[in-house]
Amino acid sequence: MEWLKSARQTFDLQQYVVYLGFLAIFLFFAITLSDDGFLTTRNLSNIVLQTAPATIMAIGFVFVLSAGEIDLSFGSIVAVSALSGAVVMQDYPMVAGIAAGLGVGLAIGWFNGVLVAYLRLPSFLVTLATLGLFAGLARSMTNLRSIPVVNDAFTGFFGSGALFGIPSLILWTIGAVIVGHIVYRESRFGAHVIATGDNAGAAQVSGIKVPRIRLAVMMISGGCAGLAGLLYAGRLQAARYTLGESDLMTVIAAVIVGGTALNGGKGSVIGALVGSLLMGMLNNGLILMGLSVSDQMIVRGLIILIAVAISLRDTSR
Amino acid sequence: MNFTKLIATASVAAMLLGGVAHAQTVGPQGETATPSSSVKVGDEKVSMLKDGKYRAALLWHDQSDFVNAVTAGATDEFNRLGIEVVATTSAGFDAAKQRSDIETALAKKPNIILSLPLDPVTSAAAFKDAKAEGVKLVFLSNLPQDYQHPSDYAAIVTDDLFQMGKQAADALAEGMGGKGTVGWIFHDANYYVTNQRDNAFKTTIEKDYPDIEIVAEQGISDPARAEDIANAMLLKNPDIGGIYVTWAGPAEGVLAALRANGNKTTKIVTLDLSEPIALDMVKGGNVTAIVADEAYELGRAMAAAGARALAGEETPPFVVAPAVTVTPSNVEAGWQQSLHRDAPDSVMKAGK
Amino acid sequence: MALNATQETSTGPVLELANIHKAFGGVVAVEDFSLDLHAGEIVALVGDNGAGKSTLIKMISGVHAPTSGTISLDGEAVAFADASVARAHGVEVVYQDLALADQQPVYMNMFLGRETVRGPLNLLDRKAMMRETQALVDELDVRIPSAKAIIRDLSGGQRQGVAIARATHWAKKLILLDEPTAALGVAETARVEEIVKILRERNIAILIISHSLDQVFRLSDRICVLRRGVQIGVRETAKSDKNEIVSMITGVA
Repeated sequence: MEWLKSARQTFDLQQYVVYLGFLAIFLFFAITLSDDGFLTTRNLSNIVLQTAPATIMAIGFVFVLSAGEIDLSFGSIVAVSALSGAVVMQDYPMVAGIAAGLGVGLAIGWFNGVLVAYLRLPSFLVTLATLGLFAGLARSMTNLRSIPVVNDAFTGFFGSGALFGIPSLILWTIGAVIVGHIVYRESRFGAHVIATGDNAGAAQVSGIKVPRIRLAVMMISGGCAGLAGLLYAGRLQAARYTLGESDLMTVIAAVIVGGTALNGGKGSVIGALVGSLLMGMLNNGLILMGLSVSDQMIVRGLIILIAVAISLRDTSR
Repeated sequence: MNFTKLIATASVAAMLLGGVAHAQTVGPQGETATPSSSVKVGDEKVSMLKDGKYRAALLWHDQSDFVNAVTAGATDEFNRLGIEVVATTSAGFDAAKQRSDIETALAKKPNIILSLPLDPVTSAAAFKDAKAEGVKLVFLSNLPQDYQHPSDYAAIVTDDLFQMGKQAADALAEGMGGKGTVGWIFHDANYYVTNQRDNAFKTTIEKDYPDIEIVAEQGISDPARAEDIANAMLLKNPDIGGIYVTWAGPAEGVLAALRANGNKTTKIVTLDLSEPIALDMVKGGNVTAIVADEAYELGRAMAAAGARALAGEETPPFVVAPAVTVTPSNVEAGWQQSLHRDAPDSVMKAGK
Repeated sequence: MALNATQETSTGPVLELANIHKAFGGVVAVEDFSLDLHAGEIVALVGDNGAGKSTLIKMISGVHAPTSGTISLDGEAVAFADASVARAHGVEVVYQDLALADQQPVYMNMFLGRETVRGPLNLLDRKAMMRETQALVDELDVRIPSAKAIIRDLSGGQRQGVAIARATHWAKKLILLDEPTAALGVAETARVEEIVKILRERNIAILIISHSLDQVFRLSDRICVLRRGVQIGVRETAKSDKNEIVSMITGVA
């Protein structure tokens, strides 16, 4: 449990912001919405279930940002992966569907990564382009149709199932966060990712294979997006071209609020988890407060603004 | 082999498309349409509903003028019946968000949910919990796959999409004096609402107006490109008599193209109310008519259908809200009829 | 200081450059350069901008390959494919621009690219890295708040101290210092020079590029002058003076 100990060491001041913010908003909702079902086990577990795909995308995004790159395309990777998995599972068993979903995610990540790492094109522009490219592909590959997923093993494994009474989406979240945190904080690879984003020149002369790191983080982002796509497909028992499309802003906000620097060299997987849960809790609580949709957006935007302002002000000390 | 099953379980969308051939709007299992005006909650049920302290949630697909008007109609009707609206959401066309919205809203234990299921396949699983908890479901336009009436849902309420397209054709034909050439700018996407309206326009012109010919057809997926498309159309057909535009957003672009070309003769007809389009119309510009749905009435009918189901009364499976043709002579009334609010000041002033 | 030079009789030179020639396309950067460097010796490389000093450092550290000529370490001819191969041979460089990761702690910089791991999962051994870092900075008397201090929070002198400490930790034979005090104040420069002297006592060969002749005369045992890629000459510091070196650098007698 050494990683837990060092997890505690990561929590320097600027990273407390997300935890304090999370706690404050949780308490606020717990008090004001005590009669509205906010604190019920079902509602709280819903928040975790609903944020599971975004949390997994956020973990990939932490790696990408920490390496000094960005991936705007992960939302469209989610859709292409989910559709690929669903289409394959119409004729083949679950394993083939999973392999297709993850494989497509990794392949697109590899494609982004080669352009970024070896052709040295700016990742912002590369992924802006591939965002459109793969969003278009997601639309054309099934001609805008939704593909149902009737494989019960799959929908259980990725969506509605449970192990020892714990919903599978929660287990996926926990598993991904633990693996992500250890790789990010406790492995040489993670240290090299952070060093690359902090000072690529220093990393290069220190013997770190910087292009390989850049390729790897884009593939991690693609792989995480692929997994998120499978989770969506399991949860909705169908894949649709819009999956993941609206997650970009939520994930960026979750990751930044969670203490990851936009320009690399610093980040936190645990922070991203809490940031993601914070976003989910905001969505949930504001709906339960009975606000109109426009008011929900305004309040959510203001809270994110405040959270980001605090966490960034603290980093630049 | 799956084909018949596909047909049987297809969304209203597919069935309504088939409905074009019948020249009227037909429900998913072939139900005939019930006019929304006949879906009412009688006074004798009102006090009973008020005592029930019932709650309703409005789980929309997106935000728009249309959704606002539906919400207003539903909310007014719920208020009359003493039913509290406890949650309102917008999924932004994201099926995953819609599923989350349903789960979240269920924490407030609603008795009625009004919603537009984003897509038949994903929503079948999404509404399962709500269905299992006995929530009365009233759907707007779309139906989750394999859902049965009345056990699974109370009613589907929709625009009379065919009628909208037909009325647009009639209005444009009248504006053109029943003869001439027409350009057809349709929504180039697989979205049943626009598809049916567009097709109904085309069918009506082809069948009912032998002296009007559709000489140009152009799909549009990005409203921002409407001006370019209209320019190209005008270049090839400089003396075109009328243009149908699939909805008001791109119609604004088409109008801009006509103005830039100094064209004052080509008539435009489009669907859904919009202030700049209406302004051009009342000022005697290119726009000859706007066809709108009665969104407020549609919302009222949805609320009424849900309430009737709660009260244990029968609900018709398939309800359509009428369309209204808005011309310079009835702008004020048309706005009230469709959106249940005053026409914008600019339009009112220009009309006087 | 010249005493050190006598040690070479017992051991051969650590670094031996013989007839090194480097051209980029048609442009000659360094021609016919030869130099021996012995353990415990500091040789200063001086010359105007563009004289070829940095090109030489880059060849020795494996960034560039010489067009012709041989580089030998401990009498053995070597050809470095890239910088990491040179480092594996015990050659470390301290760059002018530091090459430190600003947002990371001192100990992670000390082990940048060569982190210590433990256990079956090869997880980072932060404790060991901190411990070794602390021992090293204590030994070299680099005054930093702690091994966990973030580089960004340190002064320029402290950062250069960390960079040199890192080179010291990994260098087995040879350290190349490229303008180590260019960006530092007077007091900090003195600190860094103290550290460099400690390195000499540890019997490491040091090649230093410096623009400050005062510093060159304070630190070095020998001075090698380059002008437009041509090796003008090598002088023993103790037997030379600033006027001689300046005229060698400028070519003005």
